[in-house]
Formats: sequence, structure tokens, C-alpha cells
Amino acid sequence: MNMAAKTAKQGRPGARRAAVDQDEEEQPLQAVLVADSFNRRFFPVTKDQPRALLPLANVAMIDYTLEFLTSTGVQETFVFCCWMSDKIKDHLAKSKWCRSNSSNTVHFITSDTYRSLGDVLRDVDAKALLRSDFILVYGDVVSSIDVTQALQEHRLRRKLEKNISDNIVVAVDSKSKRILHYQKTQGLKKLQFPMNIFHSTSDEFEIRHDLLDCHISICSPQVAELFTDNFDYQTRNDFVRGILVNEEILGNQIHLHVAKDGYGARVSNLFMYDAVSSDMIRRWIYPITPESNFVDEEGKSCTHSRHNVYRGTGVSLGHGSQMEENVLIGQDTSIGAKGHISNSVIGANCIIGDNVILDRAYIWNNVHIADNVAIRQSVVCDGVEVKTGVILKEQCVLAFNAVVGPDVTLPEGTVVSLHHPDEEEEEQDEFLSDHAEAGHNKATKKDKANNSKELGTEGQGYIWKSSSLDHTKEDELAQSLWGLVLNPDPESDSESEASEGSDQPGSRTISPELDDIKVFQTEVQGTLQRGLEENIGCDNLVLEINSLKYAYNITLKEVMQILTRVVLEYPFFQEGADLSTSQYNTLLLPLLKGWAPVFKNYVKRAQDHLNCLASIEEFFLEHEAHWGALVLMSAYNLDILEEDGIMRWFSQEGTTDKSKLLRKNQGLLKFIQWLEEAEEYSEGD
Amino acid sequence: MVFLILYSTLAMIDVHSFKRTMPVTDKEVALSERIEAFLAELKRGGSGAGTLRGSGETARETTALLRRITGQAQWSSAGDLMEIIRKEGRRMMATQPSETTVGNMVRRVLKIIREEYARLRGSSEVTDQQESLHQLLTSGGLSEENFGQHFKDLRANVIEAINELLTELEATTDHIAMQALEHIHSNEVIMTIGRSRTVEAFLKDAALKRKFHVIVAECAPFCQGHEMATSLSEAGIETTVIADAAIFAVMSRVNKVIIGTQTVLANGGLRAVNGTHTLALAARHHSTPLIVCAPMFKLSPQFHNEEDTFHKFVSPHEVLPFTEGEILSKVNVYCPVFDYVPPELITLFISNIGGNAPSYTYRLMSELYHPEDHEL
Repeated sequence: MNMAAKTAKQGRPGARRAAVDQDEEEQPLQAVLVADSFNRRFFPVTKDQPRALLPLANVAMIDYTLEFLTSTGVQETFVFCCWMSDKIKDHLAKSKWCRSNSSNTVHFITSDTYRSLGDVLRDVDAKALLRSDFILVYGDVVSSIDVTQALQEHRLRRKLEKNISDNIVVAVDSKSKRILHYQKTQGLKKLQFPMNIFHSTSDEFEIRHDLLDCHISICSPQVAELFTDNFDYQTRNDFVRGILVNEEILGNQIHLHVAKDGYGARVSNLFMYDAVSSDMIRRWIYPITPESNFVDEEGKSCTHSRHNVYRGTGVSLGHGSQMEENVLIGQDTSIGAKGHISNSVIGANCIIGDNVILDRAYIWNNVHIADNVAIRQSVVCDGVEVKTGVILKEQCVLAFNAVVGPDVTLPEGTVVSLHHPDEEEEEQDEFLSDHAEAGHNKATKKDKANNSKELGTEGQGYIWKSSSLDHTKEDELAQSLWGLVLNPDPESDSESEASEGSDQPGSRTISPELDDIKVFQTEVQGTLQRGLEENIGCDNLVLEINSLKYAYNITLKEVMQILTRVVLEYPFFQEGADLSTSQYNTLLLPLLKGWAPVFKNYVKRAQDHLNCLASIEEFFLEHEAHWGALVLMSAYNLDILEEDGIMRWFSQEGTTDKSKLLRKNQGLLKFIQWLEEAEEYSEGD
Repeated sequence: MVFLILYSTLAMIDVHSFKRTMPVTDKEVALSERIEAFLAELKRGGSGAGTLRGSGETARETTALLRRITGQAQWSSAGDLMEIIRKEGRRMMATQPSETTVGNMVRRVLKIIREEYARLRGSSEVTDQQESLHQLLTSGGLSEENFGQHFKDLRANVIEAINELLTELEATTDHIAMQALEHIHSNEVIMTIGRSRTVEAFLKDAALKRKFHVIVAECAPFCQGHEMATSLSEAGIETTVIADAAIFAVMSRVNKVIIGTQTVLANGGLRAVNGTHTLALAARHHSTPLIVCAPMFKLSPQFHNEEDTFHKFVSPHEVLPFTEGEILSKVNVYCPVFDYVPPELITLFISNIGGNAPSYTYRLMSELYHPEDHEL
């Protein structure tokens, strides 16, 4: 999975610095571990065992993640489980993470209602578990990257700017390391970038196409809040996209960190499982290696010898058997004579017969393999029995306790499980449309009828799907089980391209029509009027204006301009156009006072002040007669505008005669003078 | 009257005992936390690259931790204590089998306990230790001392002896460096490989009085030789860095090879950084003397054929960057950290107690460790 991203632009110094930063330094580092993938890539294997507990090089995946977190210095981990939470709980209770002397305290939070990452983070927010920055990982991340540096950078940046929300460890190297655009390039030939990236004030950015996202995120506590605010965020991708699109509105940013060395990957499909396992055995993830026995469990220790052959205790190897290279064998496994094993992982307590050929085979625990079996690039789960003479072609999966054989050949991509595919359909049909379901049922019924023929006379289990079938839903599922990379299918590619395309921010950020602004203005006016009539609180007004902003796709700057304009025009709107200056002022001031919180919500940074002043100026250029310093003064008194902003605005020379004239107004000069004096006075103090 | 007084003393005793038990459990928790922290550090420290801490530091930390265990763990006799130390020692060694100094320090401490126990018992264990063939035949099961007797002073004595050991450890590098002038003469050309703190101190000490030239082999793939050369040239020594492949070509000009090592094995051989064997063979071919600077704590009762602890293969990242993803699945890349250098190729060991020939190692071994502790 490559990632194209760009960075640019120095972060603006935050308008408000948080006084709480000092306190947060001493908080223990926390982590959120999501021990559920919320998808069914590993189906039907995950029907019996949650993905986090699937063994990778004979150690459950969640242990790798916890080891990574602990070595980073995490002191408190919250494990969120959903599917088969009891199993995960049991596993962790027995592991070294729950011993009293563990430096990393593990808490469990289980609920059946989690359906996505979004649900988990919303729950985090609801329970108020996190006090400071945290690391967010899935339960299937294997990594040896030292993220402490990234953490430090993150903290530093947070001091400068309050609104930083997320930091993806992975990629891009430039000045501020901010992500402007994020896109997956699965099989995409063409990439599109929204124009506004180029239009922004950035002077430098970088496009990277060589990065791998290892799904480790360093998040500020605001991330959980953002998920609560945006209930439609389901996954991390939603979140990243949402933040990037709305960046200028909400002021949140995403930064990234490129890890130059170290290893990090998420086992998101069986292809990745294969790749990570072989990397593990070839010692790319050092110091996490099979023989280091980092889980500190009895019976997990093994020895490492030449050609990366690892043997557990009590392994017996028959006469003439060869372990060629990159082989890991768990304890008490016995292998018959004249076998030939390479690039494979074999679990504990397996019995393997004579003349067996294993290449890139991942055999879990308690598996019986009879004589004359050949297995290539396949996964064989716990308790499976493979009878004599069976040949498994590439990318087969034998799920828990299945029996195959004797004397059959399973074609490429066969998945065998004891569970009937139909059970699954009934439970969860949200993944398959009705039409596809009907077709699927027919296909599986056919499979069932052919069971004994395809799985051998003593075979038990159902064939789930096979790549030899045409482009039906099954095919796609099989692909996702092994990962799209292996056999890219032209049809599914175009499909994903289409879906990617429709999600691109580029298609959304077409510059808003002029009409939109007009409509927005009248809507805002209506909202304010209603607010006045029905006495609606300012918070709710802000909420309404925000939703209007999204509805009409208005930028923050424009919102402010329009808001200012609407408020200033409001007296005319109320009482008609022919008002005297004093009448106007008496009407306007209470309005300003009432809506001050609304203004404050939008006018935060120095730039906002200037924009606000500019739109005030613009308005009064049209209504010269009503100009007076009173508006500015009251805005200043209400804390809407700051002294600095006003002074800067005043020092800007007017571009037209009229605006120069505007600045020469008696009242204004007096006000400015008063401001200057006040400043000197406070400085003298 | 009498009753009243009795009652009050009882109450006092009660409070006292309560006060005493509480801190002990606290201490134990703190102790086990310390041990865990040390284990975690050991595990992470062995990443093979430049992050490797000096083994001197590891030795000191191990000894300090063992002293803490002696002081704070609950034991009543020497046998109990030895069992505790053996247990913790095994765990420490299992976390990083390649770091032999940890095991060596555990053995030293065990020996200290044996000696202190023998002294308190009044028997001269020291003479017993030299087991002659005759003694072995006649004594039968006498060597099975149970160390069960309780001595009040044992704890204090053992801690005292461990403190002495710590002082010795702190001074080792200086003691080795002091001998530099006996071995390095003016205008000599000296070759070394990689970076060793001991050799660095040795050369710098000699440079205070004499002028000589140092050639440093860079020691790929970690290239610690570069750091070594920078450090030496900052001390005003004329330094040249060469590639590992040039070792043989340059050797004819060299007067002396001075290297450090990770471990001195029981047969007098070395387990040293990758490339040392090449260097030693080249030195032998040109009959250049090979001097090894090795503090005593690096002496290990291990032989090189103990396969699983001898090798250390780290991530091949340095040899072939992971970004070459295309070919990774098609090649096997190995990145071993250590070489074995047989004792025949070594001329002299310089340790903190003086210079010794490799053939004398067995003798030092029996002085430092008790034969029963060779296997923990």
C-alpha cells in the first residue's frame, strides 16, 4: 500500500496557548489498542478465533503489539475488544502483561456494540479515559519502530499549536511535516490532487509515493472528541479525510513522521501475514525474533541455528528430513522421515508424516499431517487433519478443525471451514446485497453437494470459495483474504478506482458558486433573526451557522465576512434604510453585545481579526454616513476585536481615497489615540 | 501497676512489628520492578548497532543490582541467597544470551557468597577448592556443601565484598590503560578494528607520552570504526580509516595489532566484533603481534561451540535496506555481529591484572569462578 502525501507550510503560531501543557508532560503515556479489525478479511478463520489472537510465528499477534507499546514506554493500555472478547481477555490474563510487575498496566473494555474504530473512540471520549496524548494501534500491528522521537516532536508541536490532532507515524520529510493530502494508490494509474493544495500559501511541498502506512497513530485527546462530534466517522481513513478537507475550518492538522529504519506493518490480510511472518523469521524485526521469547512464556523458547532454522524444545525430526531455510518449529512437534521444509512456520504439538513437502506453509498448533502431503503457501489452522496424499496449491486456507483427504488436490485459493457459508449469510447480510446472496447460495449448495468429491472421502467441512469461479462476490472475498496484490483483477481494480475517485477531496472542493454565498447570507440573517425572536442561545446559533457553512461549502473566511456584514446590516433590515447615525448605533450596539459569543467563535487568530476589520471597512465604505468609531470601540470592549488587530488594520494604508478618508474620521482617531495611550500606560506599569 | 506496664509494652511491640513489615513488602515490589526494568533495558540494548552500551557499564549495573538483591531479598542462609541469585541470573542471561558479562558477574557474586560463608564457618574453603584427582576420588560427596547454616553477619559481609568488586570494576579501564606505555613505542604503526572503549582509553593514554600512528578498520556494516577514528584524532593521534577489505594489504606496514573483544572464551579464544577473524589471520600471516585488551569481567567459562548463545544475528537492515523491497523475498540476508577468533592467533591478553598468554586463561578462570557455577 503506497501512500502519496504532501506537506507544506509552517504551522501558524497558535492564537491561544494552553496553560495546561506543563501538567500534561508528567502524565503517563497511554495507548488505545483496538483488538478488533471490524472487517472480515480473515473470515472464516476469525469465526473461531479473533484476529488479534491468530498466531504469527507461533506468538499471538496482540503480543507483538503490546510488546511494541511497552518498549515505547507506554504505561497504561486500554484494550478494546468486541468479537470474542472473552478469549482475548483469557489470553492476556495469562500473559506477562497482566503480571503484577509489568510496567504496562492493561485494562479491558469490552462491548458488543462496537462496529468500527469510530465507535471505540467515541466510547473513549464518553468514558473520559485519556488524559493526554495517546498512541492508537490495532491489535495486529507488528513493529519495532522507535516512536519516541515522533512522540517528542508531537509534544513540541503541541506546545506551539493547540489544535494538532493526529500524527501518523510513517511518512514524508519536509519542513513542518504536515499532511495536506492523503491517498491510497492501490492499483491506481492516475492520481488526482485537489487544486487548493497548490493555491495555498505553501512555498514547499513534497509528493511521496514510496511510503507504507503502518497504522500507528499518536493522537491528542481531541481526536476522541472529534469522533464524537462527527458521528459519521467510521474508520481512520474517514477521519484523515475529514480532517484534511476541513483543515482550514477547524484548524486541526495531521502530521507525519517518516521512520527511516525499524519495521512496522499491519497484518491486514493473509498476504501481509505471509510477508510479516517471513520477515520475522529472516530477522528484519530484530530485536523481536522468534528465539528472544519476549512473551516470557514457558515452552515458547527456541534455538536459532544456521539458515534461520528455529527449533523449540522437544522437536523430533525424522531421518533424512531437511529443514532448508527460514523454518520455525514449535515445541513437541514431530516430523517424519525424508521431509522437505522451507520458509515455513509450524506450531506446537503437530504430527507430520513422511515425505512431506512444505513451502511457505503456515501450520498452527495441534495439526496432523499424514504422509506424502505437499503444502505450498497456505495457512493451516489449529486442529486440522490433512490425510495422506493431499496436495494444497497456493493460497489455500484450512480453517479450524477441518479434515481434508485422502488423495485430493485442492486448487489455488480454496478455503475450507467447518462452518457452512450459509450460517454466515443469515447472521450478517449487510456485506452482501440480496442479489449476490441469492447467487452465492446457489453456488454454496453446489459446493456442499460436491463436498466429498472435492475434500476427499473422509473430508469434513465446506468449501467457501475458490478463485476458479467467475467474477462473483466470492472471488473478491478470496482476494481480500490474500490481499489484492497477488492477482490484481481488472474489474475490481476499476471498481476501486471509481470508489476512490468519488471520495477524493478534489471533487468536493469546487469553488462555491456565487449564489451559494447569497443564499448563505440570507440563511445566516434568518438564523440570527430567529435567534433574536426566539431567544436562542449563542452556542446553538454557532451550531446552525456551522451546519449552514457545510451545506453551502463556505470557507471560514467567507463565513466571517458574511456574518459581519449581516450583523452590521441588521439595523437597516429591521427599521428600514433611512436611519440616522445615532439611531443606527443605538440599534446596533445591543445586537453586537448579544452576538459577541458568536463572533468570538469565528474570530480567533490574528488573521481573523484583520479579515473581520476588513469586512467592517468594506461595509462602511458603502454606508459612509454611519461610520463612527463606536462600532470598533464596542467590538473592542466586548473582546471581539483585539488591540493589536485594530492597530495593524489602522496602520495599513487605505488603498482608495474613500478608505483613507475613513481612517481620518475624528472619532476613530480619538479611539486609536486612546488605545495607544492605554498601551503605553500598561507598558509603563 | 504491673499489668498496666505490661500492656503498654505489648502495644509498642505491636506497632513496631507493623512498621517493620510494611516497608519490606514495599521494598520487594520496588526490587522486582528494578529487575524488570533492567531486563527490559538488556533486551533493548542489544540492537547490535551503535546503541550498544559498553559492557563495563552492563557489568557495573548487574553487580549493583545483585547487591540490591542481596540486601533486600528475603533469605536466611547462604544457600537460599545463592538460589535466588542463580534464579535471577538465569533470567537475565536468557533475555540477552550474547551479553556474557551479565552471567560472569552473577558467577563472581556466587563465588563471593561461597567464600564469605566459608570464612564465617571457619573452614578454609579456599584450599578445598583446588580439587586434585586424589581428593576427588577420596572425598566422595563431600563437595556437596548445603550452605544451610545461618550467620548473622553474612549479609553485611557479602555486601561489603560486592562493594569491593564494584570498585574493582570501576577501575578496570584505568588499570589497563596504565599498561599502555609498556606495549606502545614511539613511531609505531598500530592497527585496530571497530570501536572498543578499552582500546580507546589504552591508545589515548599512550598518546600522552608517545607519538604513533593508528590505522582503524571501519568494521562494516555498523562502521563503529568511524566513531573510533574521530575520537582518536580529537585526542591528537594520527589516525587513518581503512575499509575492511584493505586490512591484509595494509598489514605489512603494521607493527602491532591492538583490539578489544566482547568476550574471552574459556579456551582463550575470542568472541569479538565481525571482521576480527580476518584481521587476526592477516596479522598471523605477517607475524604481527596481536594484543587483546580485555578486562577480567569479560572472561567467560563458555566454549565457542555452545551454538545458541554464540551467534547473534541482527536485522539485515544495515546490509540491505528494507526499501529494496522488490528483491527482499528472493534473497536471504544475514547480519551476524560476532566472529570467533581461535586462541592460536592471539599473542597476548592485557587485563586489569596484567598481561597473560591465551594458554593461561584456564588458570584465571579457576581463580575467578567456582567450578560448580560454570553452569548456572
